Amino acid sequence: MTKTTLTIDGQLIQADDSMTILEVCRKNNIPIPTLCYHPVLEPYGACRLCTVEVKQKGRNWSSLQTSCTHPAWDGLDVQTNSPEVREARKMVMGLMLSRTPNVPVIQELAAEYGVTEPPFHVEDPNEKCILCGLCVRVCNDMVQAHVLNFSGRGADRKVGPPFMEKTRQCLGCGACTIVCPTGAIDIVLEEAGVYAAKPLGPTSAIYVPSLQAVPRVPVIDTDSCIRFRQYDRSLGQITDACGACQQLCEAHAIDFTQKDEIVELNVGAIVVATGFQMWDSSKLSQYSYGKSPNIITGLEFERLSNAGGPTLGQILLADGRKPETVAIIHCVGSRDKNPNAHEYCSRICCMYSLKHAHLVRDKTHAQVYEFYMDMRAFGKGYEEFYERVQEEGVVMVRGRGAEVQVLPSGKLRVTGEDANLGKLVAVDVDMVVLSSAIEAPADASKVSALFGLSRTADGWFAESHPKLKPVETNTDGVFLAGCAQGPKDVPDTVGHAGAAAAAVLGLLNRGEVTISPATAEVNRTRCVGCGDCLLVCPYTAIARVDGKAQINAALCKGCGTCVATCPSGAIEAWHFTDEQIIAQIEGVLEWA
Amino acid sequence: MADQHRADVLVSCLHGRAPEFIPALREEIERRGLAEEVKVVETGCRGFCSMGPVLTIAPPGTFYTGVTAADIPEIVEETLVKGRVVQKLLYKEPSGRKAVQRYDEISAFAKQQRIVLRNCGMIEPTSIEEYIAVGGYEALGKALTTMTPDAVIAEIKKSGLRGRGGAGFATGRKWEQTRQAHGDVKHVIANGDEGDPGAFMDRALMEGDPHSVIEGMIIGGFAVGASQGYIYVRDEYPLAVKNLGIAIARAKEFGLLGHDILGADFDFEIKIVRGAGAFVCGESSALMQSIEGKVGEPRAKHLHATERGLWDRPSCLNNVETWANVPHIINQGAEWFASIGTERSKGTKAFCLVGKVRNPGLIEVPMGISLKTIVNEIGGGPPRGRKIKAVQTGGPSGGCIPAEMLDIPVDYETLSEAGSMMGSGGMIVMDDRTCMVDISRYFLEFLKDESCGKCSTCREGVKRMLEILTNICDGTAKESDLPMLEALAKTVASSSLCGLGKSAPNPVLSTLRYFHKEYEQHIHDKYCASGVCRSLVAYVITEEKCKGCGLCVKACPQDGISGSLKQPHEIDQVKCIHCGACFDACKLDAVQIVPRAMVVDGKVQVPVITNEGPKRPGGPLDVPVRNVTTPGGNGGNGHGAPKGAKR
Repeated sequence: MTKTTLTIDGQLIQADDSMTILEVCRKNNIPIPTLCYHPVLEPYGACRLCTVEVKQKGRNWSSLQTSCTHPAWDGLDVQTNSPEVREARKMVMGLMLSRTPNVPVIQELAAEYGVTEPPFHVEDPNEKCILCGLCVRVCNDMVQAHVLNFSGRGADRKVGPPFMEKTRQCLGCGACTIVCPTGAIDIVLEEAGVYAAKPLGPTSAIYVPSLQAVPRVPVIDTDSCIRFRQYDRSLGQITDACGACQQLCEAHAIDFTQKDEIVELNVGAIVVATGFQMWDSSKLSQYSYGKSPNIITGLEFERLSNAGGPTLGQILLADGRKPETVAIIHCVGSRDKNPNAHEYCSRICCMYSLKHAHLVRDKTHAQVYEFYMDMRAFGKGYEEFYERVQEEGVVMVRGRGAEVQVLPSGKLRVTGEDANLGKLVAVDVDMVVLSSAIEAPADASKVSALFGLSRTADGWFAESHPKLKPVETNTDGVFLAGCAQGPKDVPDTVGHAGAAAAAVLGLLNRGEVTISPATAEVNRTRCVGCGDCLLVCPYTAIARVDGKAQINAALCKGCGTCVATCPSGAIEAWHFTDEQIIAQIEGVLEWA
Repeated sequence: MADQHRADVLVSCLHGRAPEFIPALREEIERRGLAEEVKVVETGCRGFCSMGPVLTIAPPGTFYTGVTAADIPEIVEETLVKGRVVQKLLYKEPSGRKAVQRYDEISAFAKQQRIVLRNCGMIEPTSIEEYIAVGGYEALGKALTTMTPDAVIAEIKKSGLRGRGGAGFATGRKWEQTRQAHGDVKHVIANGDEGDPGAFMDRALMEGDPHSVIEGMIIGGFAVGASQGYIYVRDEYPLAVKNLGIAIARAKEFGLLGHDILGADFDFEIKIVRGAGAFVCGESSALMQSIEGKVGEPRAKHLHATERGLWDRPSCLNNVETWANVPHIINQGAEWFASIGTERSKGTKAFCLVGKVRNPGLIEVPMGISLKTIVNEIGGGPPRGRKIKAVQTGGPSGGCIPAEMLDIPVDYETLSEAGSMMGSGGMIVMDDRTCMVDISRYFLEFLKDESCGKCSTCREGVKRMLEILTNICDGTAKESDLPMLEALAKTVASSSLCGLGKSAPNPVLSTLRYFHKEYEQHIHDKYCASGVCRSLVAYVITEEKCKGCGLCVKACPQDGISGSLKQPHEIDQVKCIHCGACFDACKLDAVQIVPRAMVVDGKVQVPVITNEGPKRPGGPLDVPVRNVTTPGGNGGNGHGAPKGAKR
């Protein structure tokens, strides 16, 4: 790589010979139009639009060259906008426009060179592909899925998968749609069928979690990132596919080799605040969740309405229109005896449904129908808010929304019983919001095993006492906060969490802890180290130390399970030793 | 094995009809007990394409043409047994019909200088012994044992040899660049793709004298420091592939390929790679992509192949004919080679002289010879009654030299200055029955098929140029078509990625330069004077000249000519398909080619008087026409179609 000096449009510019003329121009803000160029992909030289006039060092005649491929050699004299160049670009755009007359970006570029009508016979007015090869290069060189390529020669050239047939090799990554300059490629989600909506979640594998994230830096979702997905089984490592983010990051902040850090801490107290997840609304097929992009859950509505969301807070249908009618259905998956739903009440939905109804009225003035069974407005100011929402003209239908049908027109028909009227009602709306149940997260069983927690029948973690000990668990030192223990809204969560924090502080400040003396102890001489007691202790109070069992008296509750289990009889329970129990029995029998 | 047979029967035209009689020939020789004395050799091309099959009996070099299976008994009896000549099979000179007995007495042969082709038709191509016997591999021995690589390069540079593939780049300089390039592994490549329609020089060379190419490549490998060579042969030449394969294997057996060749501590291997039917793979960067197993698409050549070519290694690619020149230069010296040809173009060139000449075929001539000599003295001139109109050189990348300019010497520079190019050696002679607009349409159609499609200017531009030319030939051209054609030609030539695109407009540009009037006639007058563009012509019999001989009636495939014997005949304009058979058949110049517009409602509206002189289409529009009723009032001069005439 040697430094070079070249003249571009009369200006002397410093560069080096590893750059192309186009790269030098881009760096120096000299405009050159391109179609088949992308900074992250190898230049191809297909569209010929970036043509410039070049005089080689020491020669007095010039030739037309594509700036995207020509190296920035020393002594070049380049004209980027001479009459020769403009004439060539004009003809190129004339040819392009005749091939794809209805593509906006081609029309605009052609107009810049004075071409407003296709100068040649138009064969297919719907043609969008200009055969620039960007999709081919991104799919083969970057994503390395090797799905797209050229076939056919000359005027028969076309782009597509082998034999133009759908292939499972396609990852649906969308890289081709992003690089295509004319919008000739669409991504279609096959299972959903109708999807063309803006996604409510992250749109790429690297994304900033939210505008409120701390620290506010992007993260890579390794489940969807192409580089991590293209795992090379033969080498046992991830491939070097894509890596576009790393190439584009000017701060060189991306490091694909980062590994999870495992940190070991010795602590005196643990607060489990693992929250909730949304119940999968497609489990009850009568609500048609997933069959239309306009049927969304309460959480998805929250994202839609969020000022930092995909629509910047506007309530819009999937195709970008404002809804004129919205239905909100309560108790979807809650208070439901169906085997794949929950019997409990999810507590938060009535109030957030009212909030959503209010937001829809406020932002779109759409007609809102709320299908509810009971209105649980239990908190401070809640009942008053319910009144206010009714006054805003939201139609309250007292009766469970029974079914949502997707009509051929795209509208959604909600059917239910209006218990006040005593009849079945149906209403056709543009958007349906399902106030779906919340439930314990999918990995709750793993968490409970890890911390020795039990779970109540409804799946949430078990508190020590439902009335008197809402933040403690049966394992000393492990506390619960928030929805981990059961559904609750924000004020209640704050209260609950404060209680957990107080309990922790109390524990840590005590210095000394008074515990029940009825604990078990291991006789190390007798213990053979079989490990059975470790498996049965419900309070994870036993550990293996130097090959033998050892009981942590602070954790031990004296339940006696280990005492009964030990095959060597090596464990004794204080105050419940075999001698003491036998003495008690003898004492009782004396009376008999 | 030393066999002392007394004569060889060298049979050429193996792609023609020779295979029909070769078995019979062998049988007859066997039957006459001559199998020990006479050897039948299937050999390469001698070049007399319209007189095949040909065979030579050497010694003494008796040359027979138009041999068929029926002639075999007579040949064996008269010539092989009795030593007499079969007169009727001898070559007859085009002028004077004088019969010539020996090949080297033929005047067409005398004007040639067969250096590269000297073994074609003389030896058995796959026999390395015969090749060595006529001096083959001496040059290799000389180079490897008495010269250094740099000395070999210096010799090639001094000789002035230029690439025979068409571009004419100085071969010595290319070798030098490859030698100087960085890299331990280098390659030499022979381009045997020969895609130009009408070109078959490389074919004859690869089929008829494969060892000459191999020897040249080994010497080249030694000079540039390459140990792996490739010959890229188009798949449509299976015999070339076969013969090259046999030759490579034999060379290996003789230690001329492989490890430590001739004890000079030089290793060299050659592999054959077959093409897959793409003209664009004759372009050097596309060819290398093809060898690498990729799609044959050219790349921008800012970095030359001599720096980074095949697999990004320094590669020296030359045409097959260029390689075949190398042994001769090493053997006889650069000065000898430089003494042939012109100041800037040294040596000889093989051409395929085809088209409207009496003696078409494969020839090899010194540079500097005039086109006129080639066409008239070697080619035997045009067929009786026709006049030469132009000579097309350089295939689809070349152009047409008009008849007035045929005195120009054949040389790289003179041909480019005239708007054509040397090309790989195709030379098509055209007469007055060739439409120059149709010729450029033909070449564009070929190029549109063969364009790889990568760059927009060639892919779309050539297609649109073809559209315009097709419209011109169909009579649907607009006034704006010619300026648009010129603008397209300019951009396609200046902005395309590779040589195919850059030279695609050449046929159009050169025919526009010399035959502009024909384009104008096609567009404005909707008239094709040579009768080729059928939508633009009609055929009319001139009463005064027609003697009613009836030859045209027999020729007409539509039964569309009527008339009684010795009475003037008439062409039925409704039945006429405008094939021109009647025009070709008539010996009295009585059939005229007129613009189609002159036919209205099945009748020729304007009676025409013919011109004097030999049969010459271009007919009525060049001479005053009497008794004309032109509704447009053009009076006296028959230019242009009558206004309001229906088409």
